[in-house]
Amino acid sequence: MDSTPAAERPVLTVDGYSMAYDTDEGRIEALKNVSLSIHRGETHAIVGESGSGKTTLAWAITRYLPDNAHDLGGAILLSSEDMLAKTAAELTDLRGRRLAMVYQDPSSSLNPSMTLGDQVTEVLRRHRAMSPQEARSEAEAALARTGIRNPAAMMTRYPHEASGGEKQRVIIATAFACNPELIIFDEPTTALDILTANQIIELFLELREETGVAALYISHDLGLVSRVADTVSVLYQGEVVEQGDLKTVFAAPAHAYTQRLLAALPRPQDRLAVAAPQTDTPLMSLENIGVCYYTPSLLTRLLEPKTVAQYGARHISFSVRPGELLGVVGESGSGKSTIAKAATGLHPFEGRIVFDGKVYDSARALDRAYRRQVQIVFQHPDGSLNPRETIGRILARPLRLYDLVPRAQIAKRVAELLEMVLLPPEFASRYPHQLSGGQKQRVAIARAFAAEPRLVICDEITASLDVSVQATMARLLVDLQARSGAACIFITHDLNLVRQLAHRIVVMRNGAIVESFAAEDTEQTDRAPYTRELIDAVPVLDRPAISATTEVPHQ
Amino acid sequence: MGRILSTSNGVAGVILLTIVLTAALFGPWIAPYDPQLFHSQARLQGPSATHWLGTDQFGRDLLSRILNGAPSTVLFGMGATSLGVCAGTVIGVIAGVAGGRTDGVIMRILDGMLAMPELLFTLLIVTFLGGGTLQALLAVGVAFTPGMARIARSAVLSVRTREYVLAARARGESRSWIVLREVLPNAIGPIIVEATIRVSFAIMIGATLGFLGLGAQPPSTEWGLMVSEARQFMFRNPWGVIIPGIAIAMTAMGFNLFGDALRDAFDPKRSL
Amino acid sequence: MNLSYLIRRLVAVLVVMAIVTVAVFAITNVLPGNAALMILGENATAQNLAALERQLGLDRPLLVQYFDWVSGVVRGDLGMSLRLGLPVAEVVGSAFINSMWLAGLALAAVTVISIPLGALAAIKRGTVYDTGIGVFSYVGTALPEFVTATLLLVLFASPANPIFPAGGFADPMEDFGLFLTHAALPVATLGLVLMAHISRQVRSEMSEVLSSDYVRAARIKGLSERRVIWRHTLPNSMAPAVAVISLDIGYLLGGIIVVEEIFAWPGLGRLLIYALQNRDLPVIQAITLVLAVVYALSNLISDLVIAKLDPRVRYG
Repeated sequence: MDSTPAAERPVLTVDGYSMAYDTDEGRIEALKNVSLSIHRGETHAIVGESGSGKTTLAWAITRYLPDNAHDLGGAILLSSEDMLAKTAAELTDLRGRRLAMVYQDPSSSLNPSMTLGDQVTEVLRRHRAMSPQEARSEAEAALARTGIRNPAAMMTRYPHEASGGEKQRVIIATAFACNPELIIFDEPTTALDILTANQIIELFLELREETGVAALYISHDLGLVSRVADTVSVLYQGEVVEQGDLKTVFAAPAHAYTQRLLAALPRPQDRLAVAAPQTDTPLMSLENIGVCYYTPSLLTRLLEPKTVAQYGARHISFSVRPGELLGVVGESGSGKSTIAKAATGLHPFEGRIVFDGKVYDSARALDRAYRRQVQIVFQHPDGSLNPRETIGRILARPLRLYDLVPRAQIAKRVAELLEMVLLPPEFASRYPHQLSGGQKQRVAIARAFAAEPRLVICDEITASLDVSVQATMARLLVDLQARSGAACIFITHDLNLVRQLAHRIVVMRNGAIVESFAAEDTEQTDRAPYTRELIDAVPVLDRPAISATTEVPHQ
Repeated sequence: MGRILSTSNGVAGVILLTIVLTAALFGPWIAPYDPQLFHSQARLQGPSATHWLGTDQFGRDLLSRILNGAPSTVLFGMGATSLGVCAGTVIGVIAGVAGGRTDGVIMRILDGMLAMPELLFTLLIVTFLGGGTLQALLAVGVAFTPGMARIARSAVLSVRTREYVLAARARGESRSWIVLREVLPNAIGPIIVEATIRVSFAIMIGATLGFLGLGAQPPSTEWGLMVSEARQFMFRNPWGVIIPGIAIAMTAMGFNLFGDALRDAFDPKRSL
Repeated sequence: MNLSYLIRRLVAVLVVMAIVTVAVFAITNVLPGNAALMILGENATAQNLAALERQLGLDRPLLVQYFDWVSGVVRGDLGMSLRLGLPVAEVVGSAFINSMWLAGLALAAVTVISIPLGALAAIKRGTVYDTGIGVFSYVGTALPEFVTATLLLVLFASPANPIFPAGGFADPMEDFGLFLTHAALPVATLGLVLMAHISRQVRSEMSEVLSSDYVRAARIKGLSERRVIWRHTLPNSMAPAVAVISLDIGYLLGGIIVVEEIFAWPGLGRLLIYALQNRDLPVIQAITLVLAVVYALSNLISDLVIAKLDPRVRYG
């Protein structure tokens, strides 16, 4: 019997735990010999990329595993009780009461046909044996504690009637409701906007202070994790490669993988941009651009005269100079992707585009010359490439379409393009599904640059990639930009990244421009309040500069 | 193919289809007797050593009749479906690619066609074409067209929003290029799955038309017609209606199972 | 759900109906063969044919015939049956009621049986029970109605062992019990295919819900399995189930045609077969219109039900 006093006994102990899945391709080891412990009041971060096993660890702890999962050894103890030995009934009893979880996607984790209030009260009635009235008032109080403005009204709403941030607060309230010993947070802010995410983090810090709960915080975002966690385990392919006090580990990472992750974090002071453009004459100007997504039909207007047209963006004007990298920053719904669609003629627009002296006043007016000179790279590598075409054919297409290269030279040029994006030439005969996400994104970038454009629009090209790959992609883009002299409109929600790369920055919100400024002026005091909020929401991680020669394997 | 055989559905479907297709390809040659020959001594008999599946009211061997009717049944199903798929895909692709007003008009017309139950639509067409196998095939093909057009259109619409199609549009590719090279090759999957399943419906409707006397005419060995002819004697020799019924069911099931397995094989996130 | 939506839907239904009537008119008039020919037979002289056509109004231009008919429909006058010499509205009206009895009973039976069946299959996935339902549904959807009907007749209505009558009809208003015995086999025939199809769909919908994130979240909250099923799974499976059922109503209405013919049930289906054999255009057009309207209205009703069941659905 453990003689350590209760207060010092860890809330969660994972001791040499291993686990595997049986799949069509055989047994896959998801977790290998994982060990960690969390004490009361401590927040332990699990950091890793996709495939690291971090989410699997969460399911293993809650014992919610599919049938094809097998424990291979080791122990998981909740307050010194063996979790692997628990019966189904015991698990149902302790889940929600002693152990709770907050999920990544608040929209899909809430029952769409049940009111938010009911989803909180049911946990209170189940574990704290409250009557309906008691549960209701306690639930309201819980919602109030998470900062929801009108808790009584929120109780009666359905999930689709609440915003992402509000839904996540409800889930957090449910998790804290029965005062559990341990709460697992699985990437709770990934699906939220920057400012909302920031608020949720503040909320977490407050509640943690109040309740002293032990927390397991899973994330891929090291910057974020450094604000909330005391200790950290770095997970790579199911194994813990580094572990310890967070500040110590981040200040002096021992393992190469940890170093790579830290190096990948964008820091504004690590300037990556090409030389600033010399001239002031813009290459392209957007003048008073508006994009309308919905106009009510005649019948609708007759029956509901107050229905208005809905715009994705309105009265947008900015310009890009040759060779410049213009960053466009905003949260979701800001209209930044809408502008990309308008500028590439994918969506009809109002207003004018002036490119290289020529004026285009509608999407239809955009001619072949324009379309060659303005290229776009999209966010999702999986959707960017036609699954039925080989990489070689995909890259050859712009060469053929724009007659850039004589027939006989195409294969050679394709090989050059692949080399430019640091991919082996034999990839030309492969199909997209045989490439990883990062590799596919490189092909998409190569395809854009194959047309020898003067402007490349990058619409959140790093958002769907793993952290370590993002840095490589950004570096690649800047390199290509330098080689070709092309200008670039870089759309993103990552302010730190854009400060590294851009010459000028445009901030958008709700379909309108808030302000635009030179990158070096980001911290000036005359920035708009919204911009200030965005900057403050993503503080830069204080870490030692990691040399650029640190090996970052291509992915 | 490997993925299809990995599910029990797929295995069952392949087995059934093999039996059915063998009968369809070789039936008339491996039939033990002439399907039209009367064996007046052995009428309305159940299964026996000489007549494995029994005989009908004229003494005709049922096994031979079934085998004889297999090719036309399968051909009918595949023919009618191909007709519907081709016509429907063309319409659906046009609607999906054109968008806007053209799409709206086409959808309205399709909705109108689909507002009628399929069998009703088929009956109308086949009645006014006069009866007969070819007419029935045409009728079923035409009746399938709106449904297939809907499927084709939705497949096209879902592919149209994919980023590689957007990339092609941004490049300034011509519309025909986008349809032929980017959209169709990727939209064809759901269309083929639906087509395979529809073959089973075509076969069933064809048999129904035969039963109603609007499709194949006597002395054809069409299975639906066989049931209709055997109806008056069904209490004396139920095998006369059971045997063709099972044949129809096996064929329809084979295509159905195969089509479902095909759908699972195509679908990346297989929900078992 | 607001008035504006309802009005827009009804307008859409009207447009669709217009298209249906045009289609029917086109089919029945563009293709060879007409009522005069059917009445007089193939050996009729051209003279007699022309005279009868004039008498029946079949020699007028198509457009005139069409608008004549449409204006009649709007007034509630569906014309006169060419063969029976009776007002179409009368003939179709009583047949309609009989068919609706059949369809209604079949629908009720299907709903009551297949939803629990499918739900249980989803909950007990992978067990023998689930496989059984799977086999049942595959076999069921592979049997055309006439095969099922004939098999049921052989089993339950053979002269040697008549559990149910082999056909015919009894007025439900007069003797409901007798009516039910006559209705049993036709309803079973109609219901079988639908039950097979719908229980499979319900199973697949529920399986999806059972593997959703919110059901997982409910389990991690430590809620009892009972609560998870009844409060979190079933309510979210109902809306898709209703959607499937409403789609199958089209199939049901088609199935009525064959079933009524086999069981000699005096409904729209049997009337339609008769009208088709005799090229009785007004009757054909009226029945087609009625069936299409029933289908369209049932779709509208099911959309309303879905809106009630699923709070996310917002028609406006």
